[in-house]
Amino acid sequence: MTTTTAPTPPANTASSGFLARYGHRLNEIGLLAAIVLLYIVLGSTAGGFLSVDNQLGLLRNAAMIGIAAWGVTLVIISGEIDISIGPAVAFASVIVAKGSAEWGLGVGGAIVLTLALGFAWGALAGWLRARFNVPSFIATLGLWSVLGGLALYMTDALPVPLPESAVFDVLGGSILGIPTAAIVMLVLFGVFAYLAKYTAYGRTVFAIGGNAAAARLAGLNVNRVRVLLFATTGLLAAITGVLLAARLGSGNGGAAAGLEFDVIAAVVIGGTALAGGRGSLLGTLLGVVFITVISNGLVLLGVNSFFQDVVRGLIIVAAVLVNVIISRRNAATRLV
Amino acid sequence: MSDDRPVVAATRRATKTYPGVRALDAADFEVRAGEVRALLGRNGAGKSTLIRLLSGVETPDSGTVEVGGSPLGDGGVRRATELGVGTVYQELSLVPQISAAENLFLGVWPRTAGRVDYPRMRAEAREVFAELGLDIDPDAIVADLPLARQQLVEIARAFRARPRLLILDEPTSALAAGEADIVLAAVTRIAGRGVGVIYVSHRLDEIRRVADTVTVMRDGAVVETTDVAGATTARIVSLMLGEAADEVPERTEADVDRSATPLLSVRGLSVPPKLEDVSFDLYRGEVLGLGGLMGSGRTELLRAISGFLPAGAGSITVDGQRVTRPTPAVMKRLGVGITPEDRKGEGVVPLLGVSENMVLTWFKGASTAGTVSPARVDGIGRGLIERLSIKTARPDTPIVNLSGGNQQKAVIGRWLHAQSRILLLDEPTRGVDVEAKAQIYRIVRELAAEGAAVLFVSSELEELPLVCDRVLTMRAGRLAGEFTGADITLDTIMAAAMAA
Repeated sequence: MTTTTAPTPPANTASSGFLARYGHRLNEIGLLAAIVLLYIVLGSTAGGFLSVDNQLGLLRNAAMIGIAAWGVTLVIISGEIDISIGPAVAFASVIVAKGSAEWGLGVGGAIVLTLALGFAWGALAGWLRARFNVPSFIATLGLWSVLGGLALYMTDALPVPLPESAVFDVLGGSILGIPTAAIVMLVLFGVFAYLAKYTAYGRTVFAIGGNAAAARLAGLNVNRVRVLLFATTGLLAAITGVLLAARLGSGNGGAAAGLEFDVIAAVVIGGTALAGGRGSLLGTLLGVVFITVISNGLVLLGVNSFFQDVVRGLIIVAAVLVNVIISRRNAATRLV
Repeated sequence: MSDDRPVVAATRRATKTYPGVRALDAADFEVRAGEVRALLGRNGAGKSTLIRLLSGVETPDSGTVEVGGSPLGDGGVRRATELGVGTVYQELSLVPQISAAENLFLGVWPRTAGRVDYPRMRAEAREVFAELGLDIDPDAIVADLPLARQQLVEIARAFRARPRLLILDEPTSALAAGEADIVLAAVTRIAGRGVGVIYVSHRLDEIRRVADTVTVMRDGAVVETTDVAGATTARIVSLMLGEAADEVPERTEADVDRSATPLLSVRGLSVPPKLEDVSFDLYRGEVLGLGGLMGSGRTELLRAISGFLPAGAGSITVDGQRVTRPTPAVMKRLGVGITPEDRKGEGVVPLLGVSENMVLTWFKGASTAGTVSPARVDGIGRGLIERLSIKTARPDTPIVNLSGGNQQKAVIGRWLHAQSRILLLDEPTRGVDVEAKAQIYRIVRELAAEGAAVLFVSSELEELPLVCDRVLTMRAGRLAGEFTGADITLDTIMAAAMAA
């Protein structure tokens, strides 16, 4: 500690061992405690919360948010934002349905097309950001509007049924009793957690979010990483769209409305700083669980469905507030 | 200098002490109406303190400050403004998004019946500009104006309040040579209106063109005030340096083989308007100093060599091979590393650990089979921390916790990890304490001894003789001088950098 100028306040000495070791994990630990608390409360008050069926349903719901959230976590760590997730998911579900049912691409062809398109529109947004300095909020707002509009225009807001297919049955169903979507989410979580921590790409994302000018002068290819980041979220939204279509049995232009905000909320609750440079995939995983459990609990408790949004909003803001206070205290002991 | 023009501002035996330093020592200073007085001195000579006293930012410990014959007392900036002191600081303080006219009247908007009267504001602004001979549209948005014109808007704003005394602190330091001319012309006009002007600058050629008299300060004291016309450059430099001019710094000189192929060779490099026709060679094992004032084009030269600033003309040759497309990626591969002047803004990634801040130039060097290995990052970090004597609690401590000098060492270390052979160090000792400075000098010498070629930029010209085998000086975007061996002394370098 030769370099910090301020002496450690004496009051901290008792807990300094714990704080020193787990201080940067305080947010995750707190979130885990909150989730445990939610399980205890809901387990004893909401009938059927702990049932196997409900828990599997929870996993399936978590996948809707989680898959895209892994990509959005990296986007936010890099100091950017992607608000296009909801319409992107809806549009992807429409493309995969139309492709397999009406355009004669076959199931495999339709899925490949959807994923490729997702990657492409994400890359487009990233390119606008990297090449022309269009703020990512605006680039993805444009995407939000265009994709949402296209999805409804192409379908007249009517569901597009999927053809009968074993592939869709598996994607929309379960493998060994566990929802396929949840398996995809967990596998991708592993991939992204590895990517973030153990690859040059992931570390570059942190460097760019922490100080883009420094990253550039250190010779890192900032533009390429920015394009890839948004291409990745596009791809993840497309994956979510395919899984959603498979589960509903149809492509739906109005599906997943407002999903982008659940995703961003999960990331931020998980401790990722909107200003960039700081965050973790594990935090996002816990954030996804937190949000999903609350939504599920409110339904089981029979709260009025309109009022659910009110409660959810309050809880999300409160969770982020706690988060900010914690990180500010950390920053204070660090910077003073 | 018998002069019957009235004195507009004066300090009498003014002394100001900060903890540990006597910043100003019984300074007697006078400026008369209509006079342009240049104020010269090295960093820390007391120029800023004198300015701060005159503009009311600080009050003297003893002695008095008078403006227009009235004592300033404890009245602060407000009283100084009332008495007629206008100050233009080095950093622009304009609101870039609004018009030039509105910037002139910020806080004192002309009003009619309580609402802001835009036509009147525009008309009055036009008058002020016309009076200074400036062709600036009052409706122009400040951000759209070139830097020189923004500086003029700033000066016009101070002039609008009809000051007795106008203080200009390095008004041209950020401008290219051609742009400075219109600023100088405006200053002359202002003095012609009977305003006393204090003009702080390091550029002797400008001082010769704009000022009547020059006051030289050294170590907190006013050394001499003299007519500009009668003073030679050598005399002014020796006044600024005092005994420091005779000091022979201790130096370890390397045996540089200048008959070999240069590691880096630059020919006719131009980046208009900041850099013109720069040519030099840099050899293996050599520390080449690059001295010059702020805005002389040093930073642009470094950015152009490292590929971050596209050059308008010229060639870059590394190891005898001409580089056809010098992009950042290509130059990095050829072994060029750059550390920026603005350490906080462009150097460190504050929340990342010290080790990670160093390995980020070359993640592959810390990876096994495409996986960045935390153990290797840690190992590499420890190695560099020891080699560069970086003081940090742990290798993964966020770098923001380190002192400036230690941050700087880590930023240099980042290029050692990338195995760079050509190090471009832009002001590596800026804002660094004395001990760290000495360590950075030692590190630079060691790197050269190991075969690296170092380009060492500094505006603290004092340090160039300490570290460099050879020194180039830049002025107004061009190379102005070259000094080797025993010729590298403070006064020769300073004279070449300031010139006249």
